[in-house]
Amino acid sequence: MSAILAIAFIFCIIFARFFYIQAVWGSELVYRATDQWNREIPVIAARGQITDRNGQLIAGNRTTYSVFVRPNAVTETELCALTLSEILEIDRIELLNKLSSKKVSEITVARQVEKEKIEELTARGLSGVYYSRDNSRTYTYNDALCQVLGFTATDGTGLSGIEKYYDKVLSGENGEIAYTTDIVGVQTENSKIVYREAVAGDGIRLTIDMDIQLSAEQAMRSVYQSSGAKKVSCVVLDPNDFGVLAMVNYPSYDLNDVPREDTEKLNALSRNSLVSDIYEPGSTFKVITAAANIEEYLRGNNKAFSPSYVFNGSRTRSVDGTKIKCWSDHANGKHSNQTLASALNNSCNPCFTDIALALGKDKFYEYLTGFGLGNVTGLDFNGEALGMLVPQSLVRDCDLARIGFGQTVAVSGLQLACATAAAVNGGNYYVPHLLKGIVSSDGKKVEEYKPLLKQKPISEQASRTLAAMLEGVVKEGSGKKAYIEGYKVGGKTGTAQKYEDGHIAAGKYVSSFVGFFPSDRPQYLALIVVDEPVGTYYGSAVAAPVAKEIFEDIIKIKNIQRFE
Amino acid sequence: MKTKLFKGVKNKSVGKEKKAGDIPLLICIFLMVCFGCVMIYSASSYVGEVQYGDSLFFVKKQLVGVVFGALAFFGVQFLPYQKLIKLKIPAVAVAVVLLALVFVPGIGVTNYGATRWIGFGSFTLQPSEIAKYAFVIFAAAYFSKNYEKVKTFRGVLPVLAVGILFCLLIIAEPNMSITMCVGLLMLAMIFLSGTNLKTFALIMVPFLIAVPLLIILEPYRLQRLSAFIDPWASPKGDGYQLIQSLYALGNGGLFGVGLFNSTQKYRFLPFAESDFIMSVMGEELGFFGLAAFFLVSGFIVYRGFKIAARCKDRFGFLLSSGITLVYGIQVAINALVVSGTIPPTGLPLPLISSGNTSLIITMASMGVLYSVSRSN
Repeated sequence: MSAILAIAFIFCIIFARFFYIQAVWGSELVYRATDQWNREIPVIAARGQITDRNGQLIAGNRTTYSVFVRPNAVTETELCALTLSEILEIDRIELLNKLSSKKVSEITVARQVEKEKIEELTARGLSGVYYSRDNSRTYTYNDALCQVLGFTATDGTGLSGIEKYYDKVLSGENGEIAYTTDIVGVQTENSKIVYREAVAGDGIRLTIDMDIQLSAEQAMRSVYQSSGAKKVSCVVLDPNDFGVLAMVNYPSYDLNDVPREDTEKLNALSRNSLVSDIYEPGSTFKVITAAANIEEYLRGNNKAFSPSYVFNGSRTRSVDGTKIKCWSDHANGKHSNQTLASALNNSCNPCFTDIALALGKDKFYEYLTGFGLGNVTGLDFNGEALGMLVPQSLVRDCDLARIGFGQTVAVSGLQLACATAAAVNGGNYYVPHLLKGIVSSDGKKVEEYKPLLKQKPISEQASRTLAAMLEGVVKEGSGKKAYIEGYKVGGKTGTAQKYEDGHIAAGKYVSSFVGFFPSDRPQYLALIVVDEPVGTYYGSAVAAPVAKEIFEDIIKIKNIQRFE
Repeated sequence: MKTKLFKGVKNKSVGKEKKAGDIPLLICIFLMVCFGCVMIYSASSYVGEVQYGDSLFFVKKQLVGVVFGALAFFGVQFLPYQKLIKLKIPAVAVAVVLLALVFVPGIGVTNYGATRWIGFGSFTLQPSEIAKYAFVIFAAAYFSKNYEKVKTFRGVLPVLAVGILFCLLIIAEPNMSITMCVGLLMLAMIFLSGTNLKTFALIMVPFLIAVPLLIILEPYRLQRLSAFIDPWASPKGDGYQLIQSLYALGNGGLFGVGLFNSTQKYRFLPFAESDFIMSVMGEELGFFGLAAFFLVSGFIVYRGFKIAARCKDRFGFLLSSGITLVYGIQVAINALVVSGTIPPTGLPLPLISSGNTSLIITMASMGVLYSVSRSN
């Protein structure tokens, strides 16, 4: 009897144990085992295209393939290594060594292989060799817009620029082909193949106008060569919504042949200086000081100067015991009896010192903040510089006096362009942006970017008054070289000495010009920055003609009529 | 309780022979063998193809075993089982010699770190398979002659001595599972001999001490034990075999993935056609398939004990009980190993697993069982 009980007991244990494993634990075991039963080959999602505002393709894809080998599934190792090395032009011995090591279950032999080569390979019918589609990014314009667009890694992920900032939008979702194999990765006879489709990435439509971009590229390339500058940059904004129409940093690099081996060089060339680097703006900054004065005057602040006020003609101002001098020696009499308009024309430093000091630091800083200084603009781009603005609590009168004409302050090119745009467009400061819209992968739906008004530093009227004055600067002042007959171009030049280790670096200047047209209703605004020109260094001589060149091109491209 | 039946019965030869024996047992045994061939094909066709270039490699080997097994099964029918009493001493002697031959260099064959086989050319034999049955014959013969002495410790000592000798020789190979098998068999035979509980308990004590001692003695057993407790602690090492077995069973679920559709047979599960064929059965046929298999196995055990109970002689009773026990214990241990209930050891599933020694001898033993059923 006890024997029967013992047998029945063992029987029950066995039944219960198997029931537990197979019915209760089963799904978890299968889940754990799935990994060993399946091998996956990734299907890379098509990366979204990047186009300019008119739909012109800037960055697209060429379908290429990745080649994988499962050493255990290879029947003739020697032949496999020989064939692959021949067609893919890789080292045979190294490949043979890899293939002979059966420890590795999968080797990626090559990426971004052209279709023809894959066709050639498939014709050979090698066992254990697999292919999967991947993307090779192709850029229509080689080096144009390179710092803005950025580049991708060999696996397709965005590493810099727009490619990085909008990587999630562009990359889509990779799919995979999974199929059952034996323990060493040989596909089984009745292999179940599961195909998970890749979801293509969405496209990015930029605010960039490629025609303007190419014109600017051309202009910047020639000024880079003629001026012997270290680097040159240019941004063209639409003043009505701060969409970036063109953004050039030169020298540049070819996006279709990224110099990946030389990291230092690549880092330097791929830097979007306009956004990430700061410089002392000099006289172009006087636009903001003037804007503050006009707005305060219109508001009835009696400390502000009226447009008809005549500034003291002395070359120097004495502040906190230091002497502040004008760049001009005031000898030829041009700098005497100046109103605000002529002070702008002549770019006379002491007048702007007077304004900054008259408004006082609290009032003046209100405007600096209002024009976005000391803060990022909010451009959809990684690594934007903050700029350098002495904190309001620490600023002394001698600092304030210099800030008035663009010294003791550092800005990024983008910050200055945006501030100027807000000063002349009717007083609206928008968030600058590169994104015009997101285009669904099938190209059917477009999600438009909506411009975002950030702040209103000055009134419409103040803005109009200032724009008219700046038109005068180009017509008869220091900006003459940007003058275009029949078009209302406004602008302001700037020449700033460079500092190195806290001291003025002799002979090193940043020459710049910020211009816009038509001045009564600005549609285009351009900032030209020439860093360390050799020889002639005045912004009026170096930078202003470049703006003219670009504006003339825009007039041609957009077929803009003369105002008369 | 059953033993009481034999108190007055003396050994006597049975004159008349019935023509037919236990037909259900006969059917079950041959069903099992056929089923075994199908499962071996399913479990080994891929490995056979990859390793030997012949998907039928293991099946062909097994069919040779089936032929010899059938010959053995029917061969023993011409031999009255009572004659086996005379084999008492020769059986033990042959078993001991064969077990010892394993350790002779050049004859012993080492596989997977254990020397369990003796080989002559392509022919290999696992002596421990023979030893189990040699022990059954010896114990049955001894107890049937000396049934009065079984109540004393001295009386059971010869059986104990032979059993322990076998155990020592087998464990030295090492082969833990067959040692366990022989050990359990020894206890069961002593129990069935009609010994009293006191003597039985006296034997049990050292036996219970021996188990942990054996585990501690060989560190690899401890490793296997820990692998058994948490196989995922060393998924590529000691836990691998068990994990793969569990994956197979889990994949099978209640109803199985269907005959020939195992995924684990694609070289994931080692010994899929031999010691772990039950995992493949569980994967392809599911829990219900395995349950059916256990019921048939249980039925064989049931018929075996039924035959034993019907025996008019003590030798026949002990012999058929012993044969039935060897079968039952092996099925149970195999099931417990495959399901990770006890630490993994290498033990074939009788009548099913690939392996000729086991198949031929098991079929021969079943022949003896059938022969007993015909005589009583």
